[in-house]
Amino acid sequence: MVAAEAEGLIAIAAGLSIGISAIATAWAQKEIGTAAVGATAENDKMFGRGLMYMVIPETIVLFGLVIAFMLLSKIT
Amino acid sequence: MFRPEKLSRTVIIGSKDYLERTIELLHELEIVDIIEYSAKGLDPDFKIGKPIVKSSGASDQVLTLRSSAKLLDLDEEKHVDKKMTIDEITKDLDGKIQTLEKEIISVTQEKTTLDEQLFAIDDQIARLIPFSSISIPLENYFDHAYITVFVGSVQNLKKFEKILPSITDEYELFYSSDAENVVVLFVSKSFRETVFQTLTDCQYTEIKIPSGTGLPVNLIEQLENDRSRIHDRLETISKNLEKVRRKHGEFILAAEEYLSIEVQKAEAPIKFATTTHSFIIDCWIPTKNVEHVKKTLEDETNNALYIETLEIKSEDDVPVLLDNPKSVKPFEFLLDLYSTPTYHEIDPSFILSLIFPLFFGFMIGDLGYGLLLIIFGYIFIKKLKDNEGWYNIGRYIIVAGIFASIFGLFLFGDFLGLPFQSPPHETGQVIYSWSSLFSTNIPIQSLIHKTETSGITQLLVLSIIAGFLHLSLGLIIGMINERKHSIKHAFGKLGLLFVLTAFTLLIFVMAKWTISQWLVPLKTSAVASFLWPYFITPLSTSFMFSGLFIPYATVIFGLIGLLIILVSLGGLGLIEMLEIAGHLMSYTRLAAIGVAKGALAFAFNVIGIGLILNGNIIIGIIGVVVLVILQLLVLALGSLSSGIQALRLHYVEFFMKFYKGGGKKFEPFGYKRRYTTTQ
Repeated sequence: MVAAEAEGLIAIAAGLSIGISAIATAWAQKEIGTAAVGATAENDKMFGRGLMYMVIPETIVLFGLVIAFMLLSKIT
Repeated sequence: MFRPEKLSRTVIIGSKDYLERTIELLHELEIVDIIEYSAKGLDPDFKIGKPIVKSSGASDQVLTLRSSAKLLDLDEEKHVDKKMTIDEITKDLDGKIQTLEKEIISVTQEKTTLDEQLFAIDDQIARLIPFSSISIPLENYFDHAYITVFVGSVQNLKKFEKILPSITDEYELFYSSDAENVVVLFVSKSFRETVFQTLTDCQYTEIKIPSGTGLPVNLIEQLENDRSRIHDRLETISKNLEKVRRKHGEFILAAEEYLSIEVQKAEAPIKFATTTHSFIIDCWIPTKNVEHVKKTLEDETNNALYIETLEIKSEDDVPVLLDNPKSVKPFEFLLDLYSTPTYHEIDPSFILSLIFPLFFGFMIGDLGYGLLLIIFGYIFIKKLKDNEGWYNIGRYIIVAGIFASIFGLFLFGDFLGLPFQSPPHETGQVIYSWSSLFSTNIPIQSLIHKTETSGITQLLVLSIIAGFLHLSLGLIIGMINERKHSIKHAFGKLGLLFVLTAFTLLIFVMAKWTISQWLVPLKTSAVASFLWPYFITPLSTSFMFSGLFIPYATVIFGLIGLLIILVSLGGLGLIEMLEIAGHLMSYTRLAAIGVAKGALAFAFNVIGIGLILNGNIIIGIIGVVVLVILQLLVLALGSLSSGIQALRLHYVEFFMKFYKGGGKKFEPFGYKRRYTTTQ
């Protein structure tokens, strides 16, 4: 258990860790998505492949999520 | 099941007298993949075969039929109840095709001309519209002896209106009421230059005056009459085309198929090697079918062919014919989406067919959604059975729905986002459950509550276990694949397996064995005396290192793994070590998607049930409608993300451990008949 002020800071840290990693994911997905749509426009068969590339950066937000939970478990 | 079908390389040699008969037989057998003969590096006596001449007309006819099918917009995926026989098609084929050509081409030519006219008329009307409100005949828009005309749009009209009177008062300005900023200015020719300069300053763009004479309004009316006349004619034409389509549609498709097959057979010799009097076919045949092919060919040609099976050489580019039970077949589609396996590696379709729906179901994890998925999947299969892609997706959805129902019933105890029983320690807020809604006790327990912090931690640990098992499987398959290819790489995978185990144990101890409560019942069971002293205690014994618990087992496994990797793969192997840690964490998406979907469903339920229990009947009805829409939304979003993520875990994390891909598909010489039958 930690002090009340520290609890607040931990909660903010958890929020930041997931929020910032989500922005990073979105940024990467923006770039990949643009290219994937372009590739699909040229060749329909690229749709499946493009979709897969598209979800690869989601790992980044997962790391953020895991860290957020590790932080939250310090509060409760 | 885990290996592609065994193939044999076979050569068929015969005299050219038997060429056509052999092609005929191979085409019917439909189990022979002919290897294209390349003239390079072989005996100069052999030449590439020439197509059989008799059907040179057929390829023209195929083109005619294909363009007819295109003009008539025939659905090539269409399912026909009655297939046409060859006799029906070949009866006066040339005559029929000629009539068809005349009938369709004359009609479509008129259609094209009318379409073009319609386009021109629309264009003309669009040009006239800005002038429709100005009552000046079109012929007067051109310059006169003393007057010059400016027609166009002026962006900065207010400024122009202000400046113009200061230049001259010998002008007349008309405004169009149908187009913004469009004006017609008649001005004395002596001010032409100055006015033009001012106009340019006010961002003037000239508009070309439409051709024609008379008032624009009258012209537009006339053009609109023309347009409706053409429209009527086009409607008649499309009705005629519809008639032609109904009358000849099936014939066109069947004849096109028949002739395509004829062309395919006629062109087959291009793939053969030939000498002046003989031909050689080099081909792949599934080993189990070799005898059958051999017997058929020999019987039908009175043993006139020489057939021999050759050894497969390591440099042979063997095509791949996947060999899976019928229930696994639809999942080959998912594998093809990534890449076809090569002949020498393990075919992961079967594993994909089990674990893909398992992950999918785990992420959905809800009895209600599971049952809905089964229903939707069934509808897909019934309604879209002609489209292979959708049919396959229907199959995936059903299997995933079954897994989702099982997880929903036994692990999460959820139905449509609501638990059957409320979590045991709620804190103040109202948490609906099926038991509390109907004031009964439904005896289905939730082992994990998705909306509780402890539940989320348990889910994360479960995800890591799933990841550990999945990745280990991948590494073991990788070892099997590599053992013949490079024993070093196979050992490298073993090292990674040790490192993976070390990481997993570390995570468990750091998560303080969140799942240990599930181990409690094991303590009283018969295996306890074996499990604890030999298994759980040694693995979980740990020491403190800068505030973290590190199990001894992690250190030991990690060091063994590191040693093996350094010896077998060298320094580059260290990168793979880091990669595997990342991959293991990546499986937490199983928990993340499950929780996100659960939380979404929970929030929507709170909104919807709140409205329904409001007491007012109208708000109650709105609540029901809202709830149904929101629930379908959760199902759609949840299924989409679960499907993609489950697939991704296979494509990226799992396949990277062993899968090479890039194989060539086995393509038997033959034709999948849809509209014709040889019977």
